Amino acid sequence: MAKRVLIVDDAAFMRMLLKDIITKAGYEVVGEAANGVEAVEKYKELKPDVVTMDITMPEMNGIDAIKKIREFAPDAKIIVCSAMGQQAMVVEAIQAGAKDFIVKPFQHSRVVEALQKIG
Amino acid sequence: MNEQYLSVFIDESKEYIQTLNDSLLRLEKDYQDSEAINETFRALHTLKGMAGTMGFETMSKLCHKMEQLLDKIRSKKIKLDSAMLDRLFVGVDLLEKMIDSIVKSGTDQLPELDVIEFAKGFEILSAETGNKEIAIERDTTGAIVALSDSVERVIAEAVKEGYNAYQMTVTLSEGTQFKAVRMYMVFKAIEDHGGQILSSKPSVEDIEQEKFDREVELIVVIKEEKETLRNMVMSISEIERVTIQDILHAEVRHEPVEKVETEEKKKEKETVKTESVKERRRLTQTVRVDIDKLDNLMNLMGELVISRSRIADILRKYSIKEVDESLSQLNRISLDLQNVVMKIRMVPISFVFNRFPRMVRDVAKQLNKEINFIVEGEDTELDRTFVEDIGEPILHMLRNAIDHGIESKEERLAKGKPPVGTVVLSARHEGNNVVIEVRDDGRGIDRAAVVKKAIEKGLITEAQAESMPDEKVYEFLLMPGFSTKSEATELSGRGVGLDVVKSVVESLNGTVSIESIKNKGTTVTVRLPLTLAIIQALLVKINNLVYAIPIANIDSTLNISKEQIQKIQDRQVSVIRGEIIPIVRLWDVLELPHQSEDSIYNTVIVRVGNRKYGLAVDTLIGQEDIVIKSLGKLFSDVRIFSGGAILGDGSIALILDVANIA
Repeated sequence: MAKRVLIVDDAAFMRMLLKDIITKAGYEVVGEAANGVEAVEKYKELKPDVVTMDITMPEMNGIDAIKKIREFAPDAKIIVCSAMGQQAMVVEAIQAGAKDFIVKPFQHSRVVEALQKIG
Repeated sequence: MNEQYLSVFIDESKEYIQTLNDSLLRLEKDYQDSEAINETFRALHTLKGMAGTMGFETMSKLCHKMEQLLDKIRSKKIKLDSAMLDRLFVGVDLLEKMIDSIVKSGTDQLPELDVIEFAKGFEILSAETGNKEIAIERDTTGAIVALSDSVERVIAEAVKEGYNAYQMTVTLSEGTQFKAVRMYMVFKAIEDHGGQILSSKPSVEDIEQEKFDREVELIVVIKEEKETLRNMVMSISEIERVTIQDILHAEVRHEPVEKVETEEKKKEKETVKTESVKERRRLTQTVRVDIDKLDNLMNLMGELVISRSRIADILRKYSIKEVDESLSQLNRISLDLQNVVMKIRMVPISFVFNRFPRMVRDVAKQLNKEINFIVEGEDTELDRTFVEDIGEPILHMLRNAIDHGIESKEERLAKGKPPVGTVVLSARHEGNNVVIEVRDDGRGIDRAAVVKKAIEKGLITEAQAESMPDEKVYEFLLMPGFSTKSEATELSGRGVGLDVVKSVVESLNGTVSIESIKNKGTTVTVRLPLTLAIIQALLVKINNLVYAIPIANIDSTLNISKEQIQKIQDRQVSVIRGEIIPIVRLWDVLELPHQSEDSIYNTVIVRVGNRKYGLAVDTLIGQEDIVIKSLGKLFSDVRIFSGGAILGDGSIALILDVANIA
């Protein structure tokens, strides 16, 4: 069965781009969220296998969302999406429990590698 | 360069300079002390790397030259002598100056001195035998291949505990973004699996700044097998290759050496080893916190204590059973919290004491005196706020002891004393106080000279002087501008006597006392409260006004009837358990009208240093945690109150400073 992915990003464009890459790689995108609060709700509802999580978002940022999700789903597999120059944020996200990170602009192969590695 | 790195760099450099001073002092006692030689070498090496990373080339160069010399000594190519040691001391001083200059002006250049020229001096010292080139070559490149002793020790110890030691090389994929974060994930994966990274090449700092290409070499101890470790790291994205090799030689190499050593030495070595493993573990678990944050935490804690007593106060009026229980729980928790916050703020006094051995050495050399300097109780902890302020007074006390206390060698020999003078600096906890003492076995204080001076200054009459106890006489020394040495020496004179000590210590709510026996020595004792912010106090009432007496000062409370108070030499005293204790009526001190016709006084016996007296009050209310608030600058000359506190009901209680009441 194909892995079920939840995409979290405040930019619809980015979600579209990611959805395209992920679907082409043979995964199923089960939902999208535009901020951290939505992400937490959608996670509860959909219980996806993998989440891609943007860091900078309105309402609740990605790091807080990771923490929230890990409160009720400690095994959640989350990949953070970061822009250039956000190294410190990425470290924080990993400390919060993210399993891997990808850097914008996304390289096709990196996204796929991250999805494969996360198992 | 990043501000944040700079402050860490400065903090750490200071620590290393301290280490250098310590180890050089140890070397001065024993030129063969190989531990000390290694320690000096390592500290210089690390400092060199740090300075280089931060772009302080001159500092790095000086470290390098000093390190070279140490390396020669370490490998027994040349012999350490006192000239070298003196030069090393000067070198360390220069390093310290550079750090100061970096703090002040951001540069390691010292205007008054050509450091590079000075550094060359080390080269000449190191060059006394050949093989120079080889030595330099090795220490610039061989950070990992030649495992440092400390790493080796940790490995040996870890292997005994069932860990495996590996040298591993991690190669990142070409075009990896955020290389530092990727490596961080590798470090984290290893540490999450109970592993430890003992060293890395390039260094962690360089990795953090992405100062590496794609390859990183690590020395790792971990329980996991090689294959598991490899899979663990390979499961991280963008890792191209991982190669792992066993490290075996560490243990093997140590074995034959140890067999030759005596049992005792072996044991000693083992304790050192376990300590270093422990230390390693502890290091990874500490966090540096900005002191402002801790102050803030303490303030909030104070506010919490106030609110808690306010709630308790309100609820007491209604006496609801259910609330009582949860309230007492709240009490317990906030008390625990308070203790934890206080503990966080505590630092061992060695922070302050560390710099003194070096200073004592220099002063003693300058005065041509030999001093055996002993430090006791360095582990004693005290509040962080004191650390900055207490150094200066102790420095002064030590200088006094060396300069005025300890006699010259000839004088000591003539008196039949050992030629080497002893100065002891000690710290200990006593109740709610931290006690710091400077003790010397010198000439002691000349009571007659002090008395003479006091009479000259019109402070006392001759008749008064005669009946005055010694402690009272010595207290004159603590007064501003009172100095018995007519000629101020370069060191401790300068017109400022022990009064500096007194004023600083009193600003910290502490006390100073002096004891002295002629020709036997002098002891100056400083008592400081454990913390400044929250104290336990006994609340008392006079004419419906509430005052607070710090519990730390209280000996006991009891009732005394008017008949029990007698008059001796126009002082009111009472005999309590065989002791004659002066009794002070608080309303007289505060100049309050007093109507109560009770023939029995509630009396609080307070203790200040060695003396005790009783304070008669109207009513005792009870014990409470209070948060001390300063009275502000306007009331800085009010001596009988040390501050004010807000009580649970919102009213204000003044805190009595019992040291200044009677």
